[in-house]
Amino acid sequence: MKALLVAEYRDGQLLNSSYELVAFAQQLGAESAMFLVGSESALPQYDGTLYLADSEKYSEFNPAVHKQLLLDVIAKEQPAVVVFSHSSYGWDLAPRISLALDAAHVSEVVDIIDDVPVAPVCNSKLRREVKAKTGQTVVTLQAGAFGLNSDPVGSPTLESIDTDAAGQVTFDGYEEAEAGGADLSKAEVIVSAGRGIGKPENLEIIEGLAKSLKGEYGASRPVVDSEWADHSRQVGTTGQTVSPKLYVACGISGAIQHLAGMKKSEFVVAINTDKDAPIGEVADVLVVADLKQFVPALTEKVQAL
Amino acid sequence: MLVISCIKQVPDTTQVQIDPVTNTLIRDGIPFIVNPYDSHALEEGLRLKDRFGLRSVALSMGPPNAETTLRKACALGVDEAILLSDRCFGGADTLATSKVLAAAIERLAQQEELGIVFCGKQTIDGDTAQVGPGIASRLGLQQLTLVDRIEHLDPVKKVIRVRRKLEGRHEIVEAPLPVMITVVRELNRPRYPTVPMRLEAENIKVETWDNSVLELDTETVGLKGSPTWVSKIFSPEHDQGEIIGDGEGDPEGMANLLIDKLLSKDLLAI
Repeated sequence: MKALLVAEYRDGQLLNSSYELVAFAQQLGAESAMFLVGSESALPQYDGTLYLADSEKYSEFNPAVHKQLLLDVIAKEQPAVVVFSHSSYGWDLAPRISLALDAAHVSEVVDIIDDVPVAPVCNSKLRREVKAKTGQTVVTLQAGAFGLNSDPVGSPTLESIDTDAAGQVTFDGYEEAEAGGADLSKAEVIVSAGRGIGKPENLEIIEGLAKSLKGEYGASRPVVDSEWADHSRQVGTTGQTVSPKLYVACGISGAIQHLAGMKKSEFVVAINTDKDAPIGEVADVLVVADLKQFVPALTEKVQAL
Repeated sequence: MLVISCIKQVPDTTQVQIDPVTNTLIRDGIPFIVNPYDSHALEEGLRLKDRFGLRSVALSMGPPNAETTLRKACALGVDEAILLSDRCFGGADTLATSKVLAAAIERLAQQEELGIVFCGKQTIDGDTAQVGPGIASRLGLQQLTLVDRIEHLDPVKKVIRVRRKLEGRHEIVEAPLPVMITVVRELNRPRYPTVPMRLEAENIKVETWDNSVLELDTETVGLKGSPTWVSKIFSPEHDQGEIIGDGEGDPEGMANLLIDKLLSKDLLAI
């Protein structure tokens, strides 16, 4: 079986998610080749053929042209599966390809069970195994669902690709995302500090992450009671009830009063050294780590986006 | 000029429970709603009707009871609502669904020039985000996904300029009409019907087109025309979410994993 991996490139960098595609192919036991509209100065560490189109020439996203470049490679390689990240790029390009090939299409794959892709359904409440009736399948992978067990190694065999195709959609620049509101109840992102921050000085770490995410910082009751943070920042039954899109609980064990104040958040990330802390029950992602090391690393990465 | 909003009736998945024994959805008593993203697609169609005098049409494929959803669209002010319903359309995956919708849109476009087709960015029951692009590919429309703002529309020069919501930033693009646009929630705030609007809508007829109207090859629609089939549905093992790291991993690697996750959930572009 052969997989064609559609890697991604942005602002002069190969995206790390490209290696998740490699991990997917490995898990499937498939041979692979890679496709990239990118640059020779940012090649993946990958042992295999890399079909490379120059992003200077084809711009980072030019859908009709990328589609044609990719279809040409598919015609040559005849892969059984074409693999994308479930990113805005894959989101837009993958269905163009599945329609052109009349291929089965499975979005946001999170796992493979007996060679069958598994994808979320019903707002991610359930999973389904999706089988294909067609010879070729197009899949997009949920971010973080597949990962390499070791650092990527190797250097690709380059094949330059070109096309005469032209698109009718014209790219007219980027706009950076706007800042969120100032009010905790209206904030779209809240990063909260719990007792796990250890000492008042560490609140700066939490504020830093909140700032980088263009959100507000909050606190649990013990932090406010210790006067490390103002009461206006308190989340919970005796503080504010919040419902941001993203709630990041740092060093918060998850007392029931705190959970009541934030459980309506759309997506909860908990950072805690204890993987069995009650906060894990409401967390969509639990990062088991020391927040004093992890949060600054995360802030730096977010700022670099 | 036509502006068509594709809407789907879906079970309110926030209220869906899972039967702990059979591990399947308990659908009994779950209310049906308009797919939330589609309500923004509908609203934008109405806004373009108000601003440019375009003719707004709501289109839905579904069982006969999906008429309720289209009546709601009528109450909000669409000029025409059409239900695409036929037993042979049932059990369709996204590719087969886009086939039926595309055929209906093509039929409408024979009577009046097509400007824009709006779809929600995805549904909350299927989660696939392929129907809109499927329509675009089948009809040769320019495809603009993840749109959070219409910057400019010129129905005379037939050009549209939109802002797309990407990871951590936005992109401005321009395309010639006709286009298919998938919309995100930030695009607009959907209106609610007033009582008089609702009463008035009672008199609007929701037209139903079955396959005697669309005349599609029954092998290419519904379950038969679907290149995928679901072999199993089950609950994820851990309801408590994903765990990253074990307390000893390197912070940078874990930060990358978390960022990828947040980007995929559209949480860093706020």
